[in-house]
Order: sequence, then structure tokens, then C-alpha cells
Amino acid sequence: MQVDRDPQRVAAVRPPRRDQWQKLTLAARRDGTVTGLKVELLADMGAYLGLVTPGVPILGAFMYNAIYKFPAYHFTCTNVFTNKTWTDAYRGAGRPEATFAIERLMDELAAELGRDPLEVREQNWITHEEFPFTSVCGLEYDSGNYEAATARAKELFGYDELRAEQARRRESGDRVQLGIGVSTFTEMCGLAPSRVLGSLDYGAGGWESASVRMLPSGKVEVVTGASAHGQGHETAWSQIVADQLGVPFEDVEVLHGDTQVSPRGLDTYGSRSLVVGGQAVVQAAQRVVEKAKPLAAHLLEANVDDLEFSSGRFRVRGAGDDQEGIGLTDLALKVFTAHDLPDGMEPTLDADATFDPENFSFPHGTHLCAMEVDTETGQSRMRSYVSVDDVGNVVNPLIVDGQIHGGLVQGIAQALWEEAVYDDQGTLVSGSFVDYTLPTSADTISFVTDRTVSPATTNDLGAKGVGEAGAIASTPAVVNAVVDAVRPMGIHDIQMPCTPERVWRAIEDSRQGGSTPTEDSAQPHFTQDAPNQDDPGPDGPAGGTAYPQEGGRA
Amino acid sequence: MIPAPFDYAAPATVEEALALLAEHGDEAKVLAGGQSLLPVLRMRLNAPGMVVDISRIEGLKGITDERDSIRIGAGATYQDVLDSDLVTEHLGLLRSAVKEIADPQIRHRGTVCGALVHADPAGDVGAPVLALEGRMVVQGPDGEREVPASEFFVDLFETAVGEGELLTAVVLPKHTGWGSHYEKFVRVSHQWAIIGVAATVRAEGGTIAEARVGLTNMGATPLRASEVEQALVGLPATEEAVAQVCARAGEGTDPPSDLNGQADYRRHLAGVLTRRAVLTAAGA
Ligand SMILES: Cc1cc2nc3c(=O)[nH]c(=O)nc-3n(C[C@H](O)[C@H](O)[C@H](O)COP(=O)(O)OP(=O)(O)OC[C@H]3O[C@@H](n4cnc5c(N)ncnc54)[C@H](O)[C@@H]3O)c2cc1C
Repeated sequence: MQVDRDPQRVAAVRPPRRDQWQKLTLAARRDGTVTGLKVELLADMGAYLGLVTPGVPILGAFMYNAIYKFPAYHFTCTNVFTNKTWTDAYRGAGRPEATFAIERLMDELAAELGRDPLEVREQNWITHEEFPFTSVCGLEYDSGNYEAATARAKELFGYDELRAEQARRRESGDRVQLGIGVSTFTEMCGLAPSRVLGSLDYGAGGWESASVRMLPSGKVEVVTGASAHGQGHETAWSQIVADQLGVPFEDVEVLHGDTQVSPRGLDTYGSRSLVVGGQAVVQAAQRVVEKAKPLAAHLLEANVDDLEFSSGRFRVRGAGDDQEGIGLTDLALKVFTAHDLPDGMEPTLDADATFDPENFSFPHGTHLCAMEVDTETGQSRMRSYVSVDDVGNVVNPLIVDGQIHGGLVQGIAQALWEEAVYDDQGTLVSGSFVDYTLPTSADTISFVTDRTVSPATTNDLGAKGVGEAGAIASTPAVVNAVVDAVRPMGIHDIQMPCTPERVWRAIEDSRQGGSTPTEDSAQPHFTQDAPNQDDPGPDGPAGGTAYPQEGGRA
Repeated sequence: MIPAPFDYAAPATVEEALALLAEHGDEAKVLAGGQSLLPVLRMRLNAPGMVVDISRIEGLKGITDERDSIRIGAGATYQDVLDSDLVTEHLGLLRSAVKEIADPQIRHRGTVCGALVHADPAGDVGAPVLALEGRMVVQGPDGEREVPASEFFVDLFETAVGEGELLTAVVLPKHTGWGSHYEKFVRVSHQWAIIGVAATVRAEGGTIAEARVGLTNMGATPLRASEVEQALVGLPATEEAVAQVCARAGEGTDPPSDLNGQADYRRHLAGVLTRRAVLTAAGA
């Protein structure tokens, strides 16, 4: 989102857009097993070619199959330039669009089969024993446990109790209906593997660099190419270095954000900083220790191979617990004075590292949302939201929670409020934050967040990345909940953002003769009079659900 | 973002203020809390040569008891209204509408009279003042006159206050013992009313004895749903009894169509929210 200074307006907002027409066809057996997925996209690029403008839908292409074992998958995408605001990567970039579509569709499949949406998902997802698992797109999901995250989310949410309340409200024809929305998302992040990016014609690699410098004062300078703009890398990187080198957290200074200080780096995006940049810091720190080792051996008059390093000190293995050893910070001063170094040792402990992982990382999570929908006004109110995310090992829980909370609000806002509205001349008519309906904290509720941990295997930290998770997962959870609330009225889709007026019109339309499925809405195929009702048995699909809709005009 | 240059005066009395307005004619603009005027100046929708700040005039401050009415001076901010025991006791409807306006910062500066003169159809105080049959005290070079609320709102951003005049107070008849509710419909909390319904009801033993209903943003000016008011009299304060009457609140209105709702949706909302406001006001 950009905010321009414009003398004619308080703020001319160029809102972020994820503008796609998505047509998905899902094939499944009558028993709920998915057998194929076809995705056809028409994506609005806006007016200009930005850095990764056409790359956004391409990144999404890997994620429509999500956590499910689709044996067959087909993806086509047509990108068109229009005279609207140009698009580029925006929190999730392609993955929110994909996740929205598939998670909406899994709910529709469950509804058509008259089954619980979590149960149908479980029937189709990769079980935790099946990791590592190669997806139909060729990605290798290295770790995960969808069962554990879902079980925890259900427990925190009170899933069964809320379903019972929903049944009661439906039964009594309550004016306020309760909807429960599910999103069991995954994403590919830790955006890096340079070879993969190259194979996609991406213009850059995906490595990240770090330098660790031991100052004579004993303090440590860390230079990172992953420049933070509010994500708290300074804190997390200091923790990592304090951990690796055994120095006090306060003694680490993280430098970034100026190419004069930090000339090499590919920056913060794609939930990659900790997974790629953090690992570069780990490796640089490990190199510092390796460089210090010969000096420590020299001063302790010991053999290099007999030394061990822990809590910031080198000690001789097996020489007893009461030995003092020598501290890394002492060695830093010795290196600086260079009065007594081993022969041939270069007088520095500083080290650089550049890390390029071989694979992405795959955070996942189960998000559950309960929405109360006032069927008279169409107004939706969030009742509760639970997110259980598996982002691997966590360096700083507070930062992780902050990322989740912010991401949730962003994704929820897309589902309920924010919309870049253009008139038929392509003029932005939602040009202020009031018209764009930007929410504030007053519009959100307290989220319940928790974690399960399946460490990533592609970095020493076991971290998977968390920056985009909330924004990717939450949008379908909310829209699923709104649709679920009014589903008994014969409604199976509401265009997001689910404004009160849109919800009210959907209800009105269904009251006046019911919403007969058209080409523009979901088409049930398992009903008596619908086509494709013959189940060809285990060898072929029984039918599908066409679900064209305009995805995420945020 | 930055207003065009203007001269500024902060007179100490109404007389001085009126003299300044007379001297500067259509170059002059009154400043009260500035919560509408400053955005207007910053967006350069208006560029007055002289801004006359009336917020230092002691005589305009205060909320006072005038036997069967309450007088709200032009200096009284929204927060003064919320803090006033007189308002709480006698003008519950005004209080419940003011509670819904913007945020605490704006409520500590913005004034009821400033909002009335600004006459934004989406503003929250017009409908309650209309429903409560307020009398507007307008002072100009030729003296003071009283304009009933029903004649005050002329059109979009246009009132009976003419050039060179001040609204010095609004006088609202006490509605002691009436139940009140203002129902403001928004999508996000910082929004202006998509629509609003101001209802105040005097109930006697579960029956509606008198009712007043005002509508926000259902036309170019605040509206009063007089037919609904009359039809409610004598009805039990129950949902079954009032639903049909209230559903008609939006009939015949010409509300705007914009990003937050088409006119037919607003008319529908007016019916639903009127029922809710009336029932809440009646304590049902
Ligand atoms: C961010 C924001 C959110 C808002 N949200 C809401 C909302 O939710 N609901 C709502 O109702 N309002 C809202 N407002 C508007 C606000 O309530 C009123 O418009 C404002 O308080 C008007 O009163 P004032 O004293 O600030 O008037 P000013 O801004 O000082 O003046 C407004 C106009 O009235 C004239 N004027 C003022 N006083 C007098 C007088 N005594 N005699 C003659 N002319 C006079 C001025 O010349 C000017 O033209 C919002 C404002 C802002 C900035």
C-alpha cells in the first residue's frame, strides 16, 4: 500500500490488490477422496510491470493443492494488464489467493457431501507419517503435523460446542446465525532456493548474507542483508548470536538498512529472513568460533582437537569442571592487539557467511473462526478466532505472536472490509482510508493463538518463517464462516469482502426464489438432479465442483 | 494538506464575533471545535480570509437548565454533553447519539452546535435534535431569532444560519423519564453512520405513550419519521406489536447510494434499526 501526498486529498490511497478471476474444478469421489484439481486464472496485473508482478500468480500455482494429496493437477493462468493500480508482491503474494480458493473449495466439497469440513480435509491431507512428501507440484514438504495442529485448534476453539450451538440456532431460526470457518493452510516460504527461483525465470537469487564481527571491547557487531522494517530482526539476530557465541544479548548490535553498511543482501520478504538470513548469521557465528579455536588452543597450550566451546568459553575436554578456560571476548582483545598469535594467524575473528537453502520451508496451521451473522442486516461479527500455527522452532515467541496477529488482521480485513473499488472507467473510488474501510484495533477481537512445532529440516534453527502465515490463512477461514452461517438458506458463496450489504442481498436473493446455481456460483454435482451423478467407482472422479469467483479484491 | 493563509481572531464576546463577521462578510468563517472546518481548510475545499474562533467566548460555554428545557451553548463540546448530569437526566437521546461520535479526541473538541451548522447528513446529532424538537438560537446583526429544528436543516451542508450569523445555542425540551437509544450502523468503528436511527420513547406500563424517531443519513438532511411516531402511540412495547410499523420507517426516503450501501439497502436498514432502537428505548 502506498500513500501519496496529494494536495487535493488528505490521503490518496493506492491500496494493495490481489485481483484474480479464479476458476477451480475439483474432482472427488463420492466418499470424499479428492482425485484432481484444475485451476484456471485470469489475473489483473494492473497498469505496470513491477518487480514480480506476473510472478505473484506463479508462486500461487504451487499452492492450490495445499496440504492435500491430489493425484492430478492442472494450472493455467492468463495475466492481463489493465489501467488499475499496478500489483506486486504483497504479504503472501499468490499464496493467499491459492489458499483462499482451495480452502473455500474444501468447505464446499464437505457441504455437498454433508460432512464435517475438518473430516473431509483429514481424509485428504498428508499424514504426519508421510513426511517428507512430494506434492503434485513437485515440492518436497519436509515436515509437518496437520493432525496435531488441528486437534489443538479444535480444543482451544471448543469446536464441538460451537457446532452444537450452531445447530440450535438453525433449529430455532435465530435471527443471528452462527457460522464456523476452517482453514488448514500451508505455504511455501523461506523464499530462497536460487536454483528454483532461476527455473521460474525470477530475476534474482535467494541467498542471504551475514557478517559477525568481534570487537576488541568484547561486543559483537552483526551485519545482515535481511533488512528489517519493523519485524524485529535486531532482537532475534541478537538472540541467535548471544546463543551461538555465549555473549550477553545486550552486547550484540545488529546493523542493516544501509548499503554502505550492508552491501550484500536480498532482504526481507517471503517469510524468509530467519530461515535464510538467520541461518547465515548462525553460520557466520560458527565460523567466528572456528577461527578463534587455534588462538584458544595456543593460549591454553592445548591441542585444537581437545577444545570444546560452550557458553562463550573454550575449555580443554576432560580437564575438569573447575578449569577457567578462555572466553571468546578475551580472545577478541588478544586478536586486536595481535601480540601473541599462533604463527600465520590472520589478526581477525570476523567471519562472513552466505546461505542458500536447498528447499523452501512449509509452515502450516489450522485456523478456526466463528462468525455471528445478523440475517436482518447482513452484518457479520467475529465471535472467536483460533489459530494454531506450526512455524517450526521459535526464536522469539513475542515476535512470532506479533506477526501472527498482524497477519490475521490483514487477512480478516480482506475478508470483511478492505476493497479497492474502481468504477467502469478504472478510476479508484475507494481512495481514502475511510472509503477503503481500513479497520483499526477497535474492529478486531482478541485472537487465541498457539503453536505446534515440527522443525524445518533445511536450516540449523529448525525455523520455517511466520511473516505471512496469518494473512494467508485467515481470509478463507472468515469467508467460510460467513458462508457457513447462511448456508441453510441455500447460499454457497458471498463475494469478499463480505460487506453487510452483500450478505443481506445474498439472503434476499435466496428468499426470493432461492439461489439457483448459475455459472457464476458453485455448482453442486452430488445432488439427485445434477449432472455427473454416476459414481464411476474408484477409478474415476464422480464429479466436481466448479467454483468460479473473483478472488481477493483487497 | 496545508490550509491557505488566513487571518485569525479569537473574540471574547458574541458582539465582537458578530462585528468581525459583519466586517469580513463572505471572507469570514466561524471556527468552533474545528473538527469539520480544519479538514475543509486542509483539503482546501474552502479558503476563508478570516477565521473567527468562537471557542474563547465564555458566554457561549455551558449547558444550563431553563426549566422545561436544556440550553446547550455553542461552546459546549461533545464531551461536555457526555459529562453533563442535566443531559444524562433529561436528554438521554442526545447522550446516546453523542457517545457514538468519532473518538475521544474529536469529542473533546467538536461541538454540538458546530456539527449542526456543518449539517453533514451523516452526522449523528442532527437526527436527535430534530426528534427532540430542538429550537436553534441564531444571533445576527439584527438580533436574535429562534428557528425550530424542523426548519433549520435546509439541504446538504446548508442550514438556516445565514452569512454573518452565529448559532449561539440549541435549546432542547426536557424528555425526563423517556427511554432512548441511538442505533448507528457502521462497518468499521471510525466510520460515519451508514445510517443512524435516534429513538426516544415514553412508555407507560409496557405501552408506548409517546415516541420520537429521527433518521441519520437517509436523505440530504436529518429526517423525522413522524408517521412511525404516531403509529407507535398506544402499541405495546413488544417486537410483535411494533415490527410492522417500524419496518415502514424508510418509506418515501431518498437516501444516498454509495460504497457502503445502495439506497434500497439503507431503506431496509432504516426499518430494522428503527424497530431495534424503539424497543431498546422502551426497555423491551
Ligand atoms: C476523524 C473524524 C471523525 C468524525 N466522525 C464523526 C462521526 O462519527 N459522527 C459525527 O456526527 N461527526 C463526526 N465527525 C465530525 C464532527 O463531529 C463534527 O463535524 C464537528 O465536531 C463539528 O463541530 P466543530 O465544533 O468541530 O465545528 P467546526 O469544525 O469548528 O465548524 C464546522 C462548521 O460550522 C461552522 N460553525 C461552527 N460553529 C458555528 C456556530 N456556532 N455558528 C455558526 N457557524 C458555526 C463553521 O464555520 C464550519 O463551517 C468527525 C470528524 C472527524 C475529524
